[in-house]
This record gives sequence, structure tokens and C-alpha cells, in this order.
Amino acid sequence: MNKRHKRSQLILGMVIALFLAFPFFSNFYWIDVAFFFGVYALLGLSLNIVLGETGLFDLGHAAFYAIGAYITAILNTLYGIPIVWLIPLSALCAGIFAYIVTSPIIHLRGDYLCIVTIGIGEIVRLALINNPFGLTGGPNGITGIGRPSFGLFAIDTSIRFYFYVWIILAIVILGLVRLQRSRIGRAWNYLREDEIAAEMSGIDVRHFKLLSFVLGAALAGVAGNIYASKLMIVSPDTFTFMESSMLFCIVMLGGLGSIPGSILGAGIITVFPEIFRVVANYRMLFFGGALVLAMIFRPGGLWPRKREIAIPNVRSAEEAEEMIRPVAVDQTRTTAKQSLNGETSSFEKHILVTDKLTMKFGGLVAVKDLDLVVGHGKITSIIGPNGAGKTTVFNVVTGIYKPVSGKVYFEGKDITGFKPHKVASLGIARTFQNIRLFPGLTCVENIMAGLHHRMSSYVFSSIMRTESQILEEKWAIETAMYWLDKTGLAGLSDELAKNLPYGKQKLLELARALSSSPKLLILDEPSSGLNDKETEDLMIFLENLLDEMDLSILLIEHDMNLVMGISHWVVAMDMGIKIAEGRPQDIYNNSRVIEAYLGREE
Amino acid sequence: MSIILEQLLNGLTIGSFYALIALGYSMVYGVMKLINFAHGDLFALGSYLGYTLLVWSAGAVSQRFGLWGGMAAALLFAFFAVGCVGVLMERVAYRPVQKSGRLPLVVSALGVSIFLENLIMAVWGPRYQAYPASVVPTYTISLGWFHITSMQLFILILSFVLMLILYYVVQKTTFGAAIRATALDKEMATMLGIDVGKITLFIFFLGPALGGMAGVMNGMYYRQISFVMGWNYGLKAFTATILGGIGNIPAAMLGGLLLGLVEMFGAAYISSAWKDVFTFLILILILIFRPTGLIGEKVAEKV
Amino acid sequence: MSELLVLKDVVVSYGAVTALKGVSIKLNEGQIIAVLGANGAGKSTMLKSISKIVPLKEGKIFYKGKEMASLSAHDLAFQGISHVPEGRRVFPTLTVEENLNLGSYGARKRLLDEEVEETKKWIFELFPVLAERKNQLAGTLSGGEQQMLAIGRGLIAKPTLLLLDEPSLGLAPILVKEIFNAIRKIHEESGTSILLVEQNAKKALAESDYAYILETGKISIEGPASELAGDERVKAAYLGGSAVTKKE
Repeated sequence: MNKRHKRSQLILGMVIALFLAFPFFSNFYWIDVAFFFGVYALLGLSLNIVLGETGLFDLGHAAFYAIGAYITAILNTLYGIPIVWLIPLSALCAGIFAYIVTSPIIHLRGDYLCIVTIGIGEIVRLALINNPFGLTGGPNGITGIGRPSFGLFAIDTSIRFYFYVWIILAIVILGLVRLQRSRIGRAWNYLREDEIAAEMSGIDVRHFKLLSFVLGAALAGVAGNIYASKLMIVSPDTFTFMESSMLFCIVMLGGLGSIPGSILGAGIITVFPEIFRVVANYRMLFFGGALVLAMIFRPGGLWPRKREIAIPNVRSAEEAEEMIRPVAVDQTRTTAKQSLNGETSSFEKHILVTDKLTMKFGGLVAVKDLDLVVGHGKITSIIGPNGAGKTTVFNVVTGIYKPVSGKVYFEGKDITGFKPHKVASLGIARTFQNIRLFPGLTCVENIMAGLHHRMSSYVFSSIMRTESQILEEKWAIETAMYWLDKTGLAGLSDELAKNLPYGKQKLLELARALSSSPKLLILDEPSSGLNDKETEDLMIFLENLLDEMDLSILLIEHDMNLVMGISHWVVAMDMGIKIAEGRPQDIYNNSRVIEAYLGREE
Repeated sequence: MSIILEQLLNGLTIGSFYALIALGYSMVYGVMKLINFAHGDLFALGSYLGYTLLVWSAGAVSQRFGLWGGMAAALLFAFFAVGCVGVLMERVAYRPVQKSGRLPLVVSALGVSIFLENLIMAVWGPRYQAYPASVVPTYTISLGWFHITSMQLFILILSFVLMLILYYVVQKTTFGAAIRATALDKEMATMLGIDVGKITLFIFFLGPALGGMAGVMNGMYYRQISFVMGWNYGLKAFTATILGGIGNIPAAMLGGLLLGLVEMFGAAYISSAWKDVFTFLILILILIFRPTGLIGEKVAEKV
Repeated sequence: MSELLVLKDVVVSYGAVTALKGVSIKLNEGQIIAVLGANGAGKSTMLKSISKIVPLKEGKIFYKGKEMASLSAHDLAFQGISHVPEGRRVFPTLTVEENLNLGSYGARKRLLDEEVEETKKWIFELFPVLAERKNQLAGTLSGGEQQMLAIGRGLIAKPTLLLLDEPSLGLAPILVKEIFNAIRKIHEESGTSILLVEQNAKKALAESDYAYILETGKISIEGPASELAGDERVKAAYLGGSAVTKKE
């Protein structure tokens, strides 16, 4: 491989050698510090899944740590179950606990979630103090926890604990790195960057948020197990809000979503106070100040994640094209419900039909009794002045809003009230009026979002890198590269979306929508912000798409040139009501439409 | 009957501490959308500053102006000193971080909190400190079966007056409207000629100042103070803020008083060991079922 | 007539997007000037650059013959510029009267209390519905009423220059008519200069003296309003891109 890769391997080798040699050149005090470094690295990585990868504000993570430690302590002291067996059990219990407590709150955003997790953390700590059923030993906790042992080999010295935790850590890191670069890791990142765009790209946001909490908690549970067996005692004052904030700081100091960052953060948190032990009383004072300074000068963390995608060596556009050739048109597809409007019956098939769709916000009626028909294989445009309710129609059709009344049929199937990710997986893809990309991710990763629901690898296959997972990843990258080329973004695969100029961002959003091989493409003002030349290119591109794929297009547009140039059917809206529909030329000369735009004559 | 009344008084007293601290959380959240985790420590700082003034120099103040004079001096000193610390905090730790987004701001707030807590410990030592009995009036007022300590009465009246003034300023004056407008829409407020920077400064003075004053009252009431008390009170007051509805000033007052009552009656009639658990359960339930708090408007997200 | 506001080659960009690509306009004292254009043409950005909400990348803005470079955004209200932004942006949890009073906040040092009260009375005459609802929360008003409140909030500072951003946006035709009547009345009764940004070309042209058409960040057509009203190009440009013009 290349030079850089060799160098990083060399550095990695040196770091490992250093870790192996460290205990033989150090004293027990520092070996213990290094042990706790390892425990906090585990904890930092566990919170990194939740906070870093998924962007969920979790300020109560110590609760999951506590569950792991107490499960280990209780089961070991009461039933004598060996510590090592309790590692998976601690993980499992912490994971289940996380599932139960976060299920009802997972929809909360930002600060609200942060507050609830603080509450959960405090409830767990207080419950431990109150000694429910005499299990937790109250404020004094549980003593007499055993040591882990593998057969006759007991982990009972500082050096052995040191290797024990760092070997576990090494395995965890390997698993997490693989997870991070898989469908799962990407899904977490998508919803961190933009929840709505993620949901609309076909990612089950709720599911992946919960998964993130469960996995994060499970890993914290493992850390709890190790901690309990080292100290041989657990007590509630380890699992305070302060502990949770420390974990939060570890992740933020290192850099959101950065595995080496979290480890570095853990190192700083554990080693920093030890170095300043000479100034005992002031060390935390310095630490607090250092946190502020770090956020002023390095708000992105000390070791932020560099985003790269491993691009397979063999990559040819034709090959990729072969793989994603759209499914042949299903001739037996149910014919959509015939519209009430006689004029549109000339369409043989309707891919999308809305029936008396009504949407209200508070008292405001945004869309009223709208009957909309989108012909199969055709381009249908919705025009109308600002505030006419056009975007609301899109949001209802794609499941972002639930209509007050009325129905949405897609390929003859009632999809009213479906969640956006479900709608997306049925074959409706969209772009947004104000571009919604995943700004901090690369172009390829952005496009791969559209492929998410067509892939199937999950946690186990991603960590184990099973053959099917590797194949699937390769397919996904190739497909994404194909669309990157196709939309004229070739060569920008590793560029972050936020660094693209506006026009290219629009194309990238289009590529993401198209990559999912949608049957219906919904575009919200595709030409806004583009110049005449770019608009013209876009028109040609869209028309070509229609020839190449089994695709229907519904778009909102203000640019009459584009609308009149490519639409087969135009629907004009005003004040939430359809005021006219017909062929482009008829609409262009329709007096009611002109009126709606230019104002009513007196 | 008299027990219920006593619980009510105790609940209102502790509730008024919560309310005064909650006001700071709420106001700061309003203008900066930041949960100021350092706010509880500002409360503790106020407590210690008042203590120092009363013990070190106030022998002198109290001798000259009497017990009430000494208390007034301590309260005012804490009010202004902590207010200034608040302004400093905004300038040094928040303003430079604000542009980087909300997560770094949260960490910065945690950093300030750790800093302040350990500053208190470094200056005053890690052990509990006690407000000496000689500097606070301790007599009890009795009306038949009804008893109230002079301290309780003082705290209730003072916090009530403070809240009333604040309520008046924020809800009834144009300056208050400017504060509320800034919290709602900074850009629009600027277009109307409101100096958002000045409003922010004012908020970061007043919020901490009220918290600092509450700290002194708390010290006088319980007489025992510790450098870690900031976390606990901070967290409770913060719960109160959510209970009422964050960013809304009357709501913070209501939330504080209500939380004080819930705690007292919860401790008396349900279980004192589990009362804090109930507090946080209420917090979570409110966030699930009424995330805007008891008083508050729902704001829809624009897609 | 003296020049009240002059924009000279103003360029504004948001990161990668250049929203204004060298816009020059001029407004004389006492005039109503209309700036028309489709969505995304840069109309709102232009107004925001005048009220210093967005910084200029290039170009200059003169107000009363002086460059405004040294002023902050919150100083402009005192200088006599009121901005009624797109989407009304009334403060929903404040009462109608509080919203109105805040309008005079920046100008409180140049206005007497009596002047403000008098202006308020005048605003209540213009929009009687605001007087009826002055104790109601602004968020409970209908769209049209909120628009009236937003305009009232801009007027109460007795501005020399009123910036109106799409006052007819999303309103029913009957309300659009009412708003435009009010704009005419405001101009007649107070003599305030108005810079009106609109999508509703016909209405806007009927009320203004001079007009500019803004297309993707550039002025494409300008002229006296009465001339533009009859111009075929305006209808076409108004409905969309310039390509429609090419067709004809």
C-alpha cells in the first residue's frame, strides 16, 4: 500500500510496543493509572457511540456504567458467578436497561434529551443509595467482589489487570472501527448530521438511535464489570453526575465520533490530575480551566475524525451500472385509483394519487382537499406563489407530516401516515427546498445514505466483516461512485459535502435521492440558486433519466422555463387549493394562474 | 393542620431558593440556548462570599448596623460580586465558544462549573462551613398554633419581593419586553434597535446575582454550607426550570415554588429517601408528555 | 429631491453562495421604490444588507449621503430605518401592544413619549383590528393581522425609510388589497420613503414610483413603475427565468 499507510502502521506498532513494555519500566502507581486510563477509554468509547457517532446528548451515561458494575457485584457476591462470565451478562443487562429507559424518550431532541438522561443518571444513583430489596447495599455499596480468572490464571495483580483491560480494549477498538465504517456507523452519522434527511433517505431513525444507546450502554456495562472486579467494591458515589460529565468531556475533548480521540480524551482525564498531584488542591481547578480553553481553541476536539472511505481498487462505471440497472417495469403493477378529474385519465397509470388531502397547522389550512395525480413515467410540476402549500404537499406525501384528512396512494397502495423512512423504502425519494445534506460527511457517504435501505448488514456481520458484508459494502461504494460520476461530481468522492459550492450541493442531493433507485422522485425547487446554464443542464439530465430508468418525477418549481420545458402535466396551487391543472401551454395561458401570480384585477 | 401549614412553609422556603436559582437558568437559556451547568456553583459561591463577609468583617458590620444590617450587607455583596463573576464567565468562557456550536458550549459550562467548585474548595477548604449563630436572627414568631421563624419569614418576603420586581421588570416594562424579544428572535430584536450584546450582559449579571443572593439566604437558613452544594441545588433548580417551562421567567418562579412543595410533601407523605427519585421522575414525565413545561408555547420545527 | 439611500455594487455571499452580485439601486426621499423578483433572486438579502444583518462582501451603502460602515445593526432604528422582514416575525408570546412598543425601542432616544403615543393612535386608525386585539398575544393573530402588526411595529419608530419585505406573502387576495391600501395611506399621510420588495408585481408597481427587477442576484430591468407595468418582459421575468423572454 502507500507510504502513509505504512507510516501509520509503523506508529501503531510502536504504540503497541510501548504499551507492552510500559509496566516493566514503571511502578505500581502508574500501572494503576494506566489501568484506569483503559477503563475510561472503554467508557469514553461507549459514550462516543451515543454522543459522538449518533449525536445524542447523553449526560447520564454513568447510569449504564453503574448497571454493569452492580450486576457484576450482586451476581458475584450473592451467587458466586465468575466475573468473566458476568462480562457478557453485564453488557446484556446494561443494554436491556438502556432499551427500556430510552424507548419512551428517544424522540426528544437536543437539550431535552440531555436533561432526561441527567434525570435517568440521578434516578439510578439515588436508587442505588436507597438499597432496593436490600440488593445494592445502600450508600456503602457492595464489598467482597471476586477477581476475574481464566481457569487457574487469576487476574489479581496490577500488571495483570493492566493487560486484562488493554486487551479487552484492543478487541473493542477493532470492533468499533469496523462498526464505524459500516452501514451501521454511517446510519448513526447520518442522523447526527440531519435527522430529517436521514429519515427521508430511508433510515429508521428511531431504530438506530435505540441501537446506539443499547450498544453504548452495553459497552459501559463491560467497563462497569472490569471496574468492579478491580476495586472489589462498588458504591453509588462512583456513578455521579460528575462522572457522566467527565465522560462527556472525554468525548468532546477527543473529538466527536473519533475513536483515537476518545482514547486520547480518556488519557487526558485520567493522567492530567495525576501529573498535577503535586498541587493537589488546585488540580481540578486547572482541569476546569483547561476544559474551557480547549473548547475555545479546539472546539472540534484534539483528535477529530478524518473522514475517508476505503475505495475498492477495481472500479469501473460500467460494472457498477450493471449492478444497479433498475428493476424492469412491473407490468402487473396495480393501476392506481382513477382520479376524479377526467382530464388526467389519459394517463395509463398513476404512480401517486392523493385523495382530498388536507393539512392544517393550528387553525391555518395549508392544503385543502387536494386531488393530485402523478402519471407513471411522466414529469408533473406543481406551481404556485409562495405559501400556496406546495412544500406542505411534499411533506405530507413523504410522511413528514400526517394529513388531517385525505389519503395518499403510491402505486395503488395506501401509504397515508407511513413514516418517512418507510415511504422512502417503498421507492419515493426527494430533495429539499433548502438543501439538506449531511454536511460533515463525504460525498460518497452522502450518496450511500440512499442505499441504506437496500442493504442488510447489521451489527454482527459488520463487526465480523462477513463475506456478504464486504460484498455489500463494495456494491454500495461502487453504486455511489456511479451516481457521483453520473451527476458530474466525479473526483469529489472524498470531499466533505459542506465544502461543495451551492450548485454541486444540489447535484449531490439529487445523486443521493437517485441512488436509492426510486420509482418516484420528488424535487423541491431543483433550479433555485442555479444559473440559466445549470438549469438547462438539469432539464436535460432529468429528461434523460426518464428515458433510462423506470422513474416518475414530481417537482415544485418557480422557474417557468423549466416547468414549461419538461413537464407533461402542471398543477397550479394557490392558498392550499388546486386552482388549475393541465398541459404546460394551457396552464401558461390560464387566466386563474396568471391572476394568482400577478394579483387579482379589480 | 399546623403540620400541613409547616410543611407548606418549609416547601415554600426551599421552593424560593429553587425559584431564584431557576430564574438564572431560564434567563440564560433564553438568550443563549445554553444550560448553564455552572449556575449551581455560582449559588454556592454566593453562599461562601456571604459567609466570609459575615464572619470576617461583619463582626464589624453587624455590630454597627445590627444583625439585619449585617445580613443586608452580605446579601448585597453576594448579589454584586456573583453578578460580576457571571459577566466575567460569559465574556471569558461562553462568548468565544458560542460560534462553535452548542456542544462545545456545554463542555465549556461544565469546565466553568468544575473550576468554580474547586475554586471554592481551594479558597475555603473542603470541609463544611457554618454560618455562626451569632450573625443571624433566630427568634420564632408564634401566632397561637402557628409558628414561623424570623429567618423563614425574611426569606419568604425577600424572595417574594425580588420575584415581584423581576416579574414587573420583565413582563411589564419595555426593557423587559426587549429581553423577551431577544430570547425569541435575536435578529428581529436587533432590527428593532435592541442591543443584543447589552441584553446578554444584563442577563449574565442578573441571573448569577440572584443565584448568589439565594446562596446567602440558604446559608443563613440551613447555616451549613459546602463547596459541593452547587451541584445538588443546581440540578434541583434546573428541574424546576423545566417543570415551569424553560426560557419563560414567570414559569421558572412557579416551577421553583412547586418543586419545593412537591419535595416537602413528598418527603412527608411518601418517602423521604425516595423524594429525589420522584423529583426526577416528574422531570422525565414532563419532558415526555409536556416538553414545554407547565407554562410554555410549542414551537414547530420547520422542514 | 435628495438621495436617501444608495446601494453601489453591493455583493453579498453566504459561504459558497453569492446572493447579490453587484446590485446598485437608488431611492430618493419621499419615494416608494419596488424591487421585484422571483424566489431566491436575492430580494430579502438586499434588505438585510441594508439593515446590516448580513455583511457586505463588496460595495457600499449610503444613507442620507453618508456611508453606514461604522454603524451596528442595532443603531439603524435610531437612524430612522425600520425593517419589516419577510414572514412578519412578530414575537408570538408578546402581546400586540408589547410588539408595537418594541418597535420604538431603538428610536426611544429621538422620540418623545407623546410622539410614540400619537403614532400608535395613527397605527390603530390604519389597522383598527390591532386596537381591538392589543392585549392579545401576537401568536394568536391571523396571518394578515400579524402582517399589519409587523408593519405597525416598523412604523411606530417614525422611520425616514421603511423597508418592507414581501408584505403580501401568503395572504388572501382581499388581505393583499388591504395591505397595499395601507401602504399607500402610510406614504400619503406620513411621507415615509418606502423600499418595497414584492413578488406581487402588479400590486407593487401600482403603488410605487420606480422599480427594479432582481434576477439571481442582479438587477435585470429598471424603470419608472408605470412603464414597467406595461412591459411584457416584466410579466415574463416575473413568472420565472429570462428564458421565457427568449421564447417570445
